[in-house]
Amino acid sequence: MTDLPAKRSEDVIATPAPTPVAETAWERFEALYRSSRADVYAYVFTLLGDRAAAEDVTALAFERAYRRRRTFDRRRGEERAWLFGIARNAALDELRRRRRLAALVAEPEDVGEPAVEDGAEVTLRRTAVAAALAKLPARERELIALKFHGGLSNTELARVLGVSESNAGTMLHRTMEKLRKACNATA
Amino acid sequence: MRRLDDTPIDPDIAEALDAIDATLAGDPVDPRHAELAELALLVAAERPQMDAGFAAALDARVQRRFEPGSPSGVSAPARRRWRVVAPLAGLASAAFAAVVAVIVLGSGGSTHAPLLTQSVAAQAPARQPSAAAAPAPAPATATVGSVTPDVLQPPPNGRKVIQSGQLALATTPGRVDDVAQEVFNVVGSQNGVVNRSQVTATGGPDGYAQFDLSIPSANLPQTMAELSRLRYAQVTSRTDATQDVNDHYLALARQLSDAQALRTSLLKQLAAATTQQQISSLHAQISDAEGKISDLQGELRFLSHQVAYSNVSVTVSASAAPPSHSSSGGFTIGRAGHDAVRVLAVAAGVALIALAGLIPAGLLAALGWWITAALRRRRREQALDLA
Repeated sequence: MTDLPAKRSEDVIATPAPTPVAETAWERFEALYRSSRADVYAYVFTLLGDRAAAEDVTALAFERAYRRRRTFDRRRGEERAWLFGIARNAALDELRRRRRLAALVAEPEDVGEPAVEDGAEVTLRRTAVAAALAKLPARERELIALKFHGGLSNTELARVLGVSESNAGTMLHRTMEKLRKACNATA
Repeated sequence: MRRLDDTPIDPDIAEALDAIDATLAGDPVDPRHAELAELALLVAAERPQMDAGFAAALDARVQRRFEPGSPSGVSAPARRRWRVVAPLAGLASAAFAAVVAVIVLGSGGSTHAPLLTQSVAAQAPARQPSAAAAPAPAPATATVGSVTPDVLQPPPNGRKVIQSGQLALATTPGRVDDVAQEVFNVVGSQNGVVNRSQVTATGGPDGYAQFDLSIPSANLPQTMAELSRLRYAQVTSRTDATQDVNDHYLALARQLSDAQALRTSLLKQLAAATTQQQISSLHAQISDAEGKISDLQGELRFLSHQVAYSNVSVTVSASAAPPSHSSSGGFTIGRAGHDAVRVLAVAAGVALIALAGLIPAGLLAALGWWITAALRRRRREQALDLA
């Protein structure tokens, strides 16, 4: 097993801790924003492969969530799933807009060179994973993005995609197997 | 993405998913899943990082609560106002349409009974330049069905008119006696006469009372008005009838005058008569003339009595339960309550009509919204498949 750390959004950008008990809709939204903004951005960027578009869609998603914050119904799921559902719709609208404009979809950008202190073997494996990720169909890439970059639980994943939890798990497992085979083939 | 069957997950897959979750949480995993755990960490390491400048800009927008620079070009307060105003405007339009429909149907529809119906079969002429030259008008009848109808009165043109009225009242089963007493009181106060009466008070719904009244015609309007506003009764129907007998009266008067003139002439001839035969003949003619005069005078008296006194028929039925109200014509709590109930009934009718119009419109709007949402969702999923 590699010793790569699993990075979370809170580690990247220092933000105030979420309010323990959110009294108002605004306070709840602000806490949700603080805890989820980097995750939403990572998910959208992985799905769209375009930094500028990811930034626009992320901002739009949070603005829509802010406008609809009073319509959130906790009985229908957790806030993070609700937020990622809004972000997903905004990202898919962006994909539709690109198709209408017949614009070339930008190739996925490099998310950063591997750290210098990483070993050569790790660097090779990361390169292989990045290449395999880029070759995945958009629907499977979205699964990876929601799980590993958005940090959603399997329940939240199922809620965002509109499938049952067992089916979401099965699809995720299938995609991971496909990704593993692609990485091994590259290696 | 379509929803698949919710079948139980394969145990091996469940173990693999648990291993992924444990890896992402930093917990140790079974060596059997070491390769999967390594892949999970590598994939997580590919997580894109947010640019610090964008993060700061987004923080600032959130702190300003997205007020400036709205993507749609419409300010948030304007959108909020529109979200409030648009449904209200729709409701107001629907309510206005419903009120217009009620007014149009209520005023124009021949099959809709208005609150106060008044049908006049024929109306007496309002002005007669010459009583003798005027043609004999047809009898006039006014039928009113209302709680407190207006007082009807023939035009005051000096013509001889026979008036009559019929009044049907409803009361509660235990109030027949009270209503009968009220009728007697009204007749007494208006110097009228109860020609015939029958009161059957059983305490049940078969209670009944009937009155044949003779009321001075000058007091008829006031009498009818008071009978229409009895404390324990409500008018279910009312009929006011008039018959112009002016020409007939004048004809009788002329005949009487002619007969009296004839008798005077015969008396003069009798005074000048010299033979027994002339005297006998004149006596016979004078007797005939006096008989005719007597008949004509009787007819004129009867006609004058009919003109001076109006017949009023009043029936009281215990089959209905009317609201109580005072016999006085002013404002009372009971009458105000009755009016309030009527206003509420009309308002409820308007609301019902508006609802009848809004429900199909709402269903159509909901169907349109559902179709639009389904199409949008399908296009989004297609965009993902084609990306």
